[in-house]
Amino acid sequence: MLRNLSFSRQILPVAAVIGLLFAVYMIAIGLPDRSLAEPAEQPPKAVGALANAPRVAGAGVVEPASEVIDIGSALSGLVTEVRVRPGDKVAAGEVLFTVDARAARASLRQAEAAIGEARAAIAEASAAQATARQQLALYRSLADPAAVSRAEVIRAEGEEAAATSRLGLARARLAAAEAAAAAARTEIERLTVRAPIAGEILAVNIRPGEFVATQGGGNSQPFIQMGQTTPLHVRVDIDENEIARVALGQPAVVSPRGAAELHVSARFVRAEPQVVPKRSLTNSAAERVDVRVLQLIYELPPSDAFRVGQQIDAFIPARGKPKDAPRAQQGA
Amino acid sequence: MNAAGSIVGTRAIGGCDPEAAICARGIVRDFEAGQSTIRVLHGIDCDIRPGEMTYIVGESGSGKTTLISIMCGILYPTAGEVRVFGTDIYKLSDSDLVRFRLHNIGFIFQQYNLIPSIDAAANAAVPLIAQGVPREEARERAKVLLERLNIGDQADKLPRQLSGGQQQRVAIARALVHAPRLVVCDEPTAALDASSGRRVMDLLREVAIAPDRACIIVTHDNRIFDLADRIIALEDGRITHDGTAMPDDH
Amino acid sequence: MLWIAIRMLTGDAQKFYGLLFGIGFSTLLITQQMTIFINLIERGASGVFNAPEAQVWVMDPVSRTTDVSFPMPATALDKVRSVEGVEWAVPHLRAAANVRTKEGDLEGVAVIGVDDATLIGLPKRMVAGDKTVLFAPDSVVIDDVGTTRLFSDGGQALGERLELNDQRAVIRGIADAIPSFTSQVVLYTRYSNALNYVPGTRNRMTFVLAGVREGESPQAVAARIEKETGLKAQTHDEFARAGINFIIENTGIPTNFGITVFLGFVVGVAIVGLTFSLFLRDNIKQFGALKAIGVTNGKIVQMVAVQAGLVGLIGYALGVVGTVLFLKAFGGNPFFKGFYIPWQIPLISLAAVVVILAITGFIAIRSVLKTEPAAVFR
Repeated sequence: MLRNLSFSRQILPVAAVIGLLFAVYMIAIGLPDRSLAEPAEQPPKAVGALANAPRVAGAGVVEPASEVIDIGSALSGLVTEVRVRPGDKVAAGEVLFTVDARAARASLRQAEAAIGEARAAIAEASAAQATARQQLALYRSLADPAAVSRAEVIRAEGEEAAATSRLGLARARLAAAEAAAAAARTEIERLTVRAPIAGEILAVNIRPGEFVATQGGGNSQPFIQMGQTTPLHVRVDIDENEIARVALGQPAVVSPRGAAELHVSARFVRAEPQVVPKRSLTNSAAERVDVRVLQLIYELPPSDAFRVGQQIDAFIPARGKPKDAPRAQQGA
Repeated sequence: MNAAGSIVGTRAIGGCDPEAAICARGIVRDFEAGQSTIRVLHGIDCDIRPGEMTYIVGESGSGKTTLISIMCGILYPTAGEVRVFGTDIYKLSDSDLVRFRLHNIGFIFQQYNLIPSIDAAANAAVPLIAQGVPREEARERAKVLLERLNIGDQADKLPRQLSGGQQQRVAIARALVHAPRLVVCDEPTAALDASSGRRVMDLLREVAIAPDRACIIVTHDNRIFDLADRIIALEDGRITHDGTAMPDDH
Repeated sequence: MLWIAIRMLTGDAQKFYGLLFGIGFSTLLITQQMTIFINLIERGASGVFNAPEAQVWVMDPVSRTTDVSFPMPATALDKVRSVEGVEWAVPHLRAAANVRTKEGDLEGVAVIGVDDATLIGLPKRMVAGDKTVLFAPDSVVIDDVGTTRLFSDGGQALGERLELNDQRAVIRGIADAIPSFTSQVVLYTRYSNALNYVPGTRNRMTFVLAGVREGESPQAVAARIEKETGLKAQTHDEFARAGINFIIENTGIPTNFGITVFLGFVVGVAIVGLTFSLFLRDNIKQFGALKAIGVTNGKIVQMVAVQAGLVGLIGYALGVVGTVLFLKAFGGNPFFKGFYIPWQIPLISLAAVVVILAITGFIAIRSVLKTEPAAVFR
């Protein structure tokens, strides 16, 4: 028996087996990982009772309960003072900003001067009238007609009438001056812009020294934006094909974009009566869309997670009945 | 011995001598050659006795190879029956016939037909290995025989490393290793010179002949005819001579 | 007896190594070509494999693959989200764009917009940078093969500025992605960015990727989406299959590789068949002697089978190891990026080897079995 190792009979087969094991190992570790992965971040999903129930999904934005109010100015002019900052809570009637009122104040002072002048004229006229009347009464009380000449009496009567009419004129001037002062005060008041409702200042786009015009341009920014932010509302777009399925009046499950693990239940407020072209929610200014949507308004519970203008994903219960039958068949 | 064993040719098929190693009766063998059929053996009757070295001689084409093939169970006769130690071998199934050969017959081929890639001991041990004897035990038994044949020191060599005579000794060892009752030897001296041939035949006589073993040697080498116990001469498919010595006319 | 058969086989070194070469070469040819073929056509599904979170892909009914697609209106996303069994759904944009490189060249790129908030749709792993770099403005993530195409001079990709549709795009990460069939440069960015990077058409969203609620099967949910939205929905596997089929239907690749694999088989049969026949013919005297001595045909068949088995084992191992080393050696080449040997292919080539050896062994052994033992006396 050959004791030495045979290359072809022993080494080669053993090498072949080792090579095969090596190949099997290499093939095994080389196999690609084609397994499906769980999403690393939570995507928006329907939860709770909606998870297994008929539902309609929609995208929307957060808005104040009052919707966003773009504050305007009645008069144009330079801004002299801005009294609020974004985020301020204001009461109804609180001053938001003022527009330059120097011209109006000047005319007010003018009117007040005129009032003083008129008042002086009234005093002078009243005094003259009183003097004239005393003189006339003296002449009339004389029994002897010859004591005073007829001409003298006529002159006295004339003086009295002139004083009376001067007094009337002065009174009229006083009224005019007072009216002018009131007009100036109204002007000053109109140059002060006040909050129409209690709410939160959302944006301030003016600074003192800037010019505000009454004719706002089509795409110019509103001077100040405010709204009632307690509670917040969401405006959810529903594809027009899905309108029939939506169960109006049911609360919706709402998640903010990027925080899909947060689910809040929003109370139904109303549905907009009009179906409108879908507004771009995809950040592309040039987007043209031929889809129309129904807008539903829901009220959010108090939460720090939502801000005005934020995009949200919403799931709304669907009316089960019409779709239930085919679905049951499908499930079977 | 029984007279029937020596009777030539024409006897009808009949009772075999129970002591005969091979009892062949009416062996006919035809070969197809294209359209025609050539009859190589024309009804051979012959007995081979154990303990003897029997020569089968004849010219090429006399049918001696065919006869020996039929007698040792590797070629079916067209007609006739062959009993080897009482067994009618052509009535056995194919696999029983193969097994019968494996246990009862040893072959020495003219070209030895050793397997070139295994060593001498393994070559000699092939019949044992084929019988299922474990490899090492078979080698040991073969080595013993190689020692007897004086080539024990060559046991680990490959056939191509051995001389012709040594290869033939390995072939002889292979024929005897499983102690067969019949040894068939085809032209053992054809490739050897006269003295080597005689040495081989002496060796064969020494190791192969046993009281219960028959030994058939097919040859046309008249230099060794004098070593035979019995010579059967064949000519054109018929036995023309059967005796202890070769007649002179051969 | 069987060890004798093996000795007989290995004793003839020339023919033994000829047989090993024949089997090894056939195995190499079949395995390697099939591997390249499978990997090449799987490139058609790379877009699907690169978005591993998506269990269901929803698309316009005319869309066929990730690259042959037609965009949908934006509200399709909400429609999909409304379907029962859908766990989540995010928009996915795939579009072609041209990028101006620093050198001023124009290069066609695929822009892929992944969900803004969750980044679903990005490949599983990153080569450089973190997935969250996409949250930075104007940032894109490039795929690793695209890096080599866009910055062929070996320049540093990270931080490079590109121009896409007149918009600035800064490469802030490199994704470990499977290249597409055309090895096109792929830029991943957020959906909202992608809308700006791709010249506008009316509808932009090409796919909605959806996840399936636990306990639901993707097939059932996809069917439900199709039924309720009128859109086309395919599972991850179906859509990958569609991409592969698209390549198969539209290129000559299957034919070419089929021919090569067939040639490998034929070469194997020819070399192995001839050598094996010659080997057995050389040994026919020995087999004849064995048959005369008393070895059954069954045992002879076993011996030949063992010889074939040894040749097969070593040759097959050579071929498979050769394929593995080939892929290992060329793994750095972008063309071979992500190439792997599907475990079925070695089994197929094993079957081919078995068939080759069975055919040639059967033909060769017939002459041995037909040999009359009597022939040894002639």
